[in-house]
Amino acid sequence: MDTNTNVNYKSEYAGYWKVLVGLLVLTAVTFVQPGMFLTDYTFAAQLIIGAIKAWMILMYYMHLKGEKLIGAMGVFSLFLVAVFFIIVIIDVNNFQFGDVSHITSPAK
Amino acid sequence: MSHEYVPEIAVDREGKEHEVQGWQDDTYGGKLGFWLFMFTEVMMFGAMFLILTYYFSLHHQDFINASASLNRVLGGVNTVVLLFSALTMGLGLLKMRSGDVKGAKLMIWATILLAIVFLGIKAVEWTAEYQHGVFLGLEALQAGNEFSKPFGEILFFGMYFTMTGLHGFHIIIGIGIMLWLLKRINAGKVTPHHHILHFNIALYWDLVHLIWVFVFPYFYMIGAGDIAGVVNGH
Amino acid sequence: MSKSYFDETHCAIGHPKSTFMQWMLTVDHKRIGLMYAAVMFTFFFIAVATALAMRFELFAPGAQYMDGDTFNQAFTLHGVIMVFLFIIPGIPAVFGNIVMPLMIGAKDVSFPRLNWFTFWLYIVGCIVALSSLFNFSDGAFNFADTGWTFYAPYSLNTGTNVITTLVAAFILGMASILTGLNFLVTIHRLRAPGMDFFKMPLFVWGIYATAWIQLLATPVVGITLILAILEKFFGIGIFDPSKGGDPVLFQHLFWIYSHPAVYLMILPAFGIMSEIIPVFSRREVFGYRTIALSSASIAGIGYLVWGHHLYTSGMSDLAKTIFSFLTFFVAVPTGVKFYDWVATMYKGKIVLSTPMLWALGTMVTFAIGGLTGVTIAMVGVDIHLQDTYYTVAHFHYAILGGVVFLLFAGMHYWFPLITGKMYNETHAKIAFWLNFIGFNVLWFPMFIAGYLGMPRRYFDYLPEFQIYHQISFWGAIIFITGLAYMFYVLIQGWRKGESAGVNPWRATTLEWHLPTSPPPLENHTKVPYVDFNPYEYHHGEPVVKFDENMKRID
Ligand code: HEM
Repeated sequence: MDTNTNVNYKSEYAGYWKVLVGLLVLTAVTFVQPGMFLTDYTFAAQLIIGAIKAWMILMYYMHLKGEKLIGAMGVFSLFLVAVFFIIVIIDVNNFQFGDVSHITSPAK
Repeated sequence: MSHEYVPEIAVDREGKEHEVQGWQDDTYGGKLGFWLFMFTEVMMFGAMFLILTYYFSLHHQDFINASASLNRVLGGVNTVVLLFSALTMGLGLLKMRSGDVKGAKLMIWATILLAIVFLGIKAVEWTAEYQHGVFLGLEALQAGNEFSKPFGEILFFGMYFTMTGLHGFHIIIGIGIMLWLLKRINAGKVTPHHHILHFNIALYWDLVHLIWVFVFPYFYMIGAGDIAGVVNGH
Repeated sequence: MSKSYFDETHCAIGHPKSTFMQWMLTVDHKRIGLMYAAVMFTFFFIAVATALAMRFELFAPGAQYMDGDTFNQAFTLHGVIMVFLFIIPGIPAVFGNIVMPLMIGAKDVSFPRLNWFTFWLYIVGCIVALSSLFNFSDGAFNFADTGWTFYAPYSLNTGTNVITTLVAAFILGMASILTGLNFLVTIHRLRAPGMDFFKMPLFVWGIYATAWIQLLATPVVGITLILAILEKFFGIGIFDPSKGGDPVLFQHLFWIYSHPAVYLMILPAFGIMSEIIPVFSRREVFGYRTIALSSASIAGIGYLVWGHHLYTSGMSDLAKTIFSFLTFFVAVPTGVKFYDWVATMYKGKIVLSTPMLWALGTMVTFAIGGLTGVTIAMVGVDIHLQDTYYTVAHFHYAILGGVVFLLFAGMHYWFPLITGKMYNETHAKIAFWLNFIGFNVLWFPMFIAGYLGMPRRYFDYLPEFQIYHQISFWGAIIFITGLAYMFYVLIQGWRKGESAGVNPWRATTLEWHLPTSPPPLENHTKVPYVDFNPYEYHHGEPVVKFDENMKRID
């Protein structure tokens, strides 16, 4: 466990604030994006911004930088989630019973 | 710890000595364990996002309409509140590590305060929605009556209340464990030299923030381009 | 007499005087494992009794002892107990707890208090599950009647106690997650110095792969169950077709967990097999790395095959094809393991002790279970066999004839380690044969009945299936007699058996190098330095020897 002798308080302190500013800027971007750029792809744009924010939080606030083992495990979990997404999305996109399905349009 | 834990030594055939890692005093183990726990949260919310994506692709327009009717101002304020709470939490940990226990406690209190503000705003939001007739169990979200919303909107709001509710539940748990952390600090069990508990709770708080980073755009922002929705409200 | 873990213990809270409280509060991994075993087997016998009741009902067509509704509750109770209360905690909770830390030379698991907490979480889950048996308003039985799979939308509409059952499954899931988490950290952190991943015994590999499934798959079903509960309380609509929800999505999410869960059951069981085969062949295991890595790849591929439960649910044809293809792949690493075991035995000095008998028996039964699994992985065949007794026979061959048989093998193998006593070999062997024969008579006819069209979850059937059900009934009687006999032999062994000594099987892994038998509270006197492979035999004799300070002396 690190002790007070090897904590570089000043630079870490500044680091926290810098990341905060970055996150605030990105949050602002979140708000102006739908009216400014990529307006047809709001969803994708929002998720990309979210991913950048998440990356910053993970690396700097959660100190994941340099954690090889934990990082690899994290990548593995995200990979699994991605696989679940891909397979389920393949399934929905090839749904064959849309015409007779009850759930895709409200029954009157 | 009343008495220091002394690791055992294993000796190989050449007589070389190797330190044995015991379960006691295993800081890295504590950290690893907590990360593993966080992966389970990732899987849990991942599954919910999967459901969300599934229905989003099935009912695209309904989702956008429903999203447009959410209160983006309050949601945005909450995002900023959480951002600052993540900062105070991180600074608190930094102060703890550099020996400033008092400052650390102050920062934890600040985090708790911000968490309560977050919940307060959330409550205002939900109340307003309730008054508009949009809430779990109300007629608009049930099938087959005159107030029924379209399928996509029912599903959107079902997930909206479930996920923000679950997120709020995590915030409440967070407040609880932060209070507990303060107690442990006061009891001298968490110190600058032994702060794994503080470290893990900070991780937890960042995770709660991390989830919000995706929950927020997915619910509040996907309909933001729909100007009509913003103007008319719902 | 030196003190063993039965005489002293560490506790989670304080140092209670009474022995009873010491057991309740113990954080010692060996005691916790034993308590898991006690509770699990109690439930096992409850579920076996339910199964016997079903077998009685199925003895003849028509309703004799129970009506259709009761039968529905009976197979749900049987399935829920067997799956969530018995086999999912299963081998990891018992032998993962007791043996795994010993095998890697650790004093305990990484988070002993969490382990204690997990055990009690499991107990809470069991109590909630039992509470859903009863309908408190009129005192009748009212267990869920959905089958253990809780498929929507029926589970959302039925009037039986589904909510409590779901809550129980959720709590048990949390216990399972925490067990996995604890073991992962333990295996990563507490291995004895020098023991890298490829010097770990294969059982530890099995536990490691399992722990990843427990950790990453269980949350998915956890949230699915929560959504189902919310659906019942608030009508959020996610799985309810009348509000636009998709019941097939429930099946997706349910099996995203529950299919990996079957590998979660079998992987540690394979681990036990990989321990027993080299020890009783007195030979180094063949293809150590391939066995270890095949555990990992079964766990990995196991995540990708859940869709083969959905062939008849209206999934798209493309997805069916993908899933069918992926499912075949799981058979490859499993086959690798089988060949490795057989190759280990080749030219070995085979000792036919009871654990080895169980292991060999399992190779037969699990091969049948596994190969029939491959047949129903094919979409075309499965359309015919889905929800017939063929499927039921398949998974009983795989789970009962695979996992539970290997659990029994492990019980016989580690019995002298845990109790310090030896059971009567002759009687234990008779018990094995009763079980083995009874099991095959019980389930093999069901393949035929299922193939001819006997559907599952029916309390009634056409007269032409009667002969199969009757054979099956007599099989159940033999099997259950065998079970009772086996436990009797083991309990007698514990009470009256001779002392076994530290290493009765002449095995090589670290759990057989403890200072006393049964082991002392904190396991090995000194932690050894591990610079050897787990199964080193030379001319049928273990190579590695230690002095009393765990220094190598060979
Ligand atoms: C004593 C030996 C056993 C007997 C006689 C037995 C018998 C049965 C019977 C008759 C059914 C009902 C089949 C149907 O009508 O669809 C059934 C279902 C089932 N059994 Fe067993 N069984 C035994 C052991 C086990 C074990 C050890 C497990 C797992 C650990 C297990 C897991 C299941 C499951 C998951 C189901 C399906 C329940 C459902 O349809 O929801 N059984 N068993």
